[in-house]
Amino acid sequence: MSYLELLKLASTEAVVVVTALVVLAIGLTTRREATGVTVATAQGDQNVGGSSSARTNAICSFIAALGLAIAIGTALMLPRKATLFSGMLVITPLTSLFKIICMALAFFAVLLTKSEKSLRHPGEYLAILLLATVGLMLLVSSEELLMIFIGLELLGLSLYVMVAFDKTDVRSAEAGLKYFLFGSTSSAFTLFGISLIYGMSGITSLAAISEKLATVSVQPLLAVGIVMTLIGFAFKIAAAPFHLWAPDAYQGAPIPSAAFIASGSKVASFVVLGKIVLVGFAPLHGDAAWHAMVAGWSPVLAALAALSILVGNFVALAQSNLRRLLAYSAVAHAGYTLIGLVAGDREGFSAALFYTTTYAITLVGAFGVVALVRRETAGDDFSNFSGLISRSPMLAGCMSIFMLSLAGIPPLAGFFGKFYLFSVALRADAGHGLLWLVAVALFGSLISLYYYLIVLKVIFVDEPSLAIASSPDHLSPDLLQRIAVAVLAAVVLFLGLMPDALAAGLLAAMP
Amino acid sequence: MSSILPWILLLAPLCSAACITLFALRWKALSSFISIMAVLLSFICSCLVFARADISAPQFGWIDVAGALKVPFGLTQDQLSKMMLVLVSGVGAVIHIYSLGYMRDDEGKSRYFGALSLFMFAMLGIVVANNFVMLFMFWELVGFTSYVLIGHWFYRDAAAAAAKKAFITTRIGDFGFMIGILMLWMATGSIVFAEITPRMSMLTSHPTFLTVVALLIFCGAVGKSAQFPLHVWLPDAMEGPTPISALIHAATMVAAGVYMLVRVAFVIQTSQTALLVIAWIGTITAVLAALIATQQNDIKRILAYSTLSQLGYMVMAVGLASNDASMFHLFTHAFFKALLFLAAGSVIVMLHHEQNIWKMGGLSQKLPITFVTFVAGALALIGCPPFSGFFSKDAILALAYQRNVPIFAVGLFTAFLTAFYVIRLLVIVFFGKPRSEVARESRESPAVMTGPLIVLALLATLGGFAFFARRFLALPIEKEVAVFVPAVAIVALILGSGLAIVLYRNRASEPLDLQLLRHKFYFDEFYRWLIYWTQELLAGVFAFFDRWIIDAGAVSGSGRGTLGIGALLRLIQIGNLQAYLFLFGLGIVALIYFAVFH
Amino acid sequence: MITLGDYLIVSGILFAIGFAGVMLRRNLIIILMSLELMLNAANLSLVAFSRFRVSPAGLPNYNAQVFVFFIITVAAAEVAVGLAILVALFRARQTTDVKDISELKF
Repeated sequence: MSYLELLKLASTEAVVVVTALVVLAIGLTTRREATGVTVATAQGDQNVGGSSSARTNAICSFIAALGLAIAIGTALMLPRKATLFSGMLVITPLTSLFKIICMALAFFAVLLTKSEKSLRHPGEYLAILLLATVGLMLLVSSEELLMIFIGLELLGLSLYVMVAFDKTDVRSAEAGLKYFLFGSTSSAFTLFGISLIYGMSGITSLAAISEKLATVSVQPLLAVGIVMTLIGFAFKIAAAPFHLWAPDAYQGAPIPSAAFIASGSKVASFVVLGKIVLVGFAPLHGDAAWHAMVAGWSPVLAALAALSILVGNFVALAQSNLRRLLAYSAVAHAGYTLIGLVAGDREGFSAALFYTTTYAITLVGAFGVVALVRRETAGDDFSNFSGLISRSPMLAGCMSIFMLSLAGIPPLAGFFGKFYLFSVALRADAGHGLLWLVAVALFGSLISLYYYLIVLKVIFVDEPSLAIASSPDHLSPDLLQRIAVAVLAAVVLFLGLMPDALAAGLLAAMP
Repeated sequence: MSSILPWILLLAPLCSAACITLFALRWKALSSFISIMAVLLSFICSCLVFARADISAPQFGWIDVAGALKVPFGLTQDQLSKMMLVLVSGVGAVIHIYSLGYMRDDEGKSRYFGALSLFMFAMLGIVVANNFVMLFMFWELVGFTSYVLIGHWFYRDAAAAAAKKAFITTRIGDFGFMIGILMLWMATGSIVFAEITPRMSMLTSHPTFLTVVALLIFCGAVGKSAQFPLHVWLPDAMEGPTPISALIHAATMVAAGVYMLVRVAFVIQTSQTALLVIAWIGTITAVLAALIATQQNDIKRILAYSTLSQLGYMVMAVGLASNDASMFHLFTHAFFKALLFLAAGSVIVMLHHEQNIWKMGGLSQKLPITFVTFVAGALALIGCPPFSGFFSKDAILALAYQRNVPIFAVGLFTAFLTAFYVIRLLVIVFFGKPRSEVARESRESPAVMTGPLIVLALLATLGGFAFFARRFLALPIEKEVAVFVPAVAIVALILGSGLAIVLYRNRASEPLDLQLLRHKFYFDEFYRWLIYWTQELLAGVFAFFDRWIIDAGAVSGSGRGTLGIGALLRLIQIGNLQAYLFLFGLGIVALIYFAVFH
Repeated sequence: MITLGDYLIVSGILFAIGFAGVMLRRNLIIILMSLELMLNAANLSLVAFSRFRVSPAGLPNYNAQVFVFFIITVAAAEVAVGLAILVALFRARQTTDVKDISELKF
């Protein structure tokens, strides 16, 4: 294979990497000028530096967005099927679709970055964001444990930095540290698990592992290896009890980082987790039926799912900060999504991917609203949202779409996603063995309704507190960001009305 | 042309709701105008659809996931749904017009009419849905809009709480409903009514499965139609504006449950056990609500409990496997209950939002039109011949007499109680002397309010006669017991009314004091206790987990470690991050244990 | 004779020591070092598996050894990022004790 061909197949990643480097270079050069100006015009005059930084931000964001758009274009032109280096880089309709989804999510994260004033080095931030996107794409498009590990690390290391990026806020560094320590510990576990799997099978490509595992019986060392491998992903999707970092990271991180962790990172992790368990560990499926559990990965994931749903929903009830609430609800939603994987087979996988994709879109939108509100009121507690309807009916409307979709109210995307997931889970097993899990999930979504409604109540019913109503810091509306939020809300509504548009595509793209 | 009529009647209220929320929130008059025009359009289309036998709306595919799940978006056009269309849009139109008068000075008038239009859309959607997914979607939308409408005066704590209670309680029922739908879909592979019907025969060999499915689907109706034990939300929902009470309690939301049961009768009637349970739940609701109604003092609450009781009758009829009798009662009840609520609303507005019946009295002279119409509604409610309620209730009682005598006996007792509390209400409110200043100074309502009253009063009076009712629905067949049952019912009626007149004539306050009934059998207290404990317990456990174990380190900070257990405790106290990591490790150990040794 | 089992036991013990260090030690720098220990435990077991999985031609399975080189690189990157975050935190808080880092909670 010639290098030219290789470049053609990896063109999407290459475009994003090049964009990252360009953005980094621009950020570095213009930043130096800006600092010079600020120093020259004495200390009090921050405006010059500020506006220059804003201009840099705008240029960098524009280039990053442009690069992502071009990369999406190249992704559309990829061949339908290709395999490089025995599965290290695989191109199938599924991977192409999810590369595009990941880049679209990154695109919206870039739009959120544009208005984030607290970032003093937008060029570097955007470059890291783009590198994280490359990590997502590697994760999505690899079927080999070494490559998956490297994608995981590339994504993880970029995200740690993105979380700790806001140097004006002490909490950002703290959140970064927590996320980092949790992340590296769990990736160490995953690595150890991979080494055990390798020891049992002697190979690292998923398809070959599956063949080897079909010939061996479940022995303790293998079971330990499987559980340890899954832990890294359980951490990434924030499934309980590996979720403890999530609330802190969501709250402390700059908003685009939080949005990206909640969306892109989660989607890609679900794709690769699904591949690992459904392709690599397929012979060790086990059975998660209530009365007839058979050892394997599916009871493990089922236990994680049930625990996540319960813990996430209950703790979310007691929150008064919107970002923490979203974090705990993210834990619960990870639990719902896992149900699809527990159900197994193509349909379960596609239901899980449909759910996680719509969820990611919803959360990016919700974080977009949070970002705008935070910019106006300098906070994201419930009190900052009170009476949002009178301040910005458009944002309030979008937020209610996002919340109701998360709560699973028809006709929004979240409703169909849940319906699809639960119905697949019920049909997965002739004896309805997963009924217990579906019942837990329905119970959880019943509870969740309560706190989503509280958010809506705050937005629609509560009077805006005096401090906010009279806040002088009413910035000119960021039109672009508002449009982005509205577009996301429209997508959520559209996917609720016409879920086929995505669900049928997913099912068709399944191997 | 004719094939788009059903679509017009469904979508007109949706367009109105969209227009109002998007453009017309500031112009109150305009939004009420749009809303009323939309509902009138729906009503006219419904009548046209009803008049023509050959209308079929085109259906189109909506969701189709590779054959695994097919959901068409189609409209049912049979006699049942046509009748309901006319009923829902007709009563809806009357209530829209009445609202003009009732909500005259309300701040949130635009919001009110917008939500009302959305509610009409959802309700009409339930009526025409031809598959379970559509039905469930509109079902949830009805729940949501009724939440908005009940909580219209959200600044009153009671209204906000009532709205929440209504929403959450009905959701509990929906929880079962959804599982039931999923199970049925799993078993038959379809969610379209017409496709499931022929496939039901495949399932007859699994009677237990059928019973479970039927009862789960019934759960949905228990929530929406406020049947025992989820009936608690309905009386509280009286905190909403009175037209909303009329709308929700007369023709629409609560009737949706009964309508749904009739619509899916092909599932329910396959299981005798389920039918028996349904019949008894209906019976219990009927008698329980009637008992509670005898001791209430709020005019709207009394009507609310009477609604519960009448819904009990309808569900009882469904349980006795007679759709006709059930729909007949739904039909007559829609008219007379809407009438009673609107008349009560007229009283309430003219008395400056006074709802306590002991502050009223002697209103028959002050509000003559309201009085006459209210009497017509009351007589229909207690089943006095020749008013409409007599015929429909008689049909249900006759049915019960034939199929299940204990249910008949309880039903008869309920009829007695109904007569008692309705006449009590009538005597206290309209006769005797005015018991307060506002009652003395009240006067008749404006024409925009009395007009709908008169229309409804006519319907409530005539609605039961075969020459009128048969145009709309198939009446239950006459039984040979046609003399005995009405005779007994009339005796019960006379006894109940007589007792009420004797007890309450010229009284200034309540002569009976039955704490158990006054406190509604302590259902609310019991539920509050139950919810309190489960919720508090679970939330408490998790909050403890999250706060104490993790926060303890930051507070006390002491960490003088010793060996063994001491070291473990130190772990718990050492501080935030590492407590997380400890739990992380614990989780891993538990998972490995689970995977290896299970 | 040292068997595969012996290597695995050593690697397991190293991993456990590393995780215990992460859980128990308070100094962030030592926690970072413990993290490295965990990664190296995985390296050890990979190399051992590679050495004891001899192909018919008598060569060890080199897959895992390549893997180990990648891991060493990744570990270096991880330390760099970790130290950077640590420095940012130290500037704000003047401490490297995890106990003091608990502003975000509940």
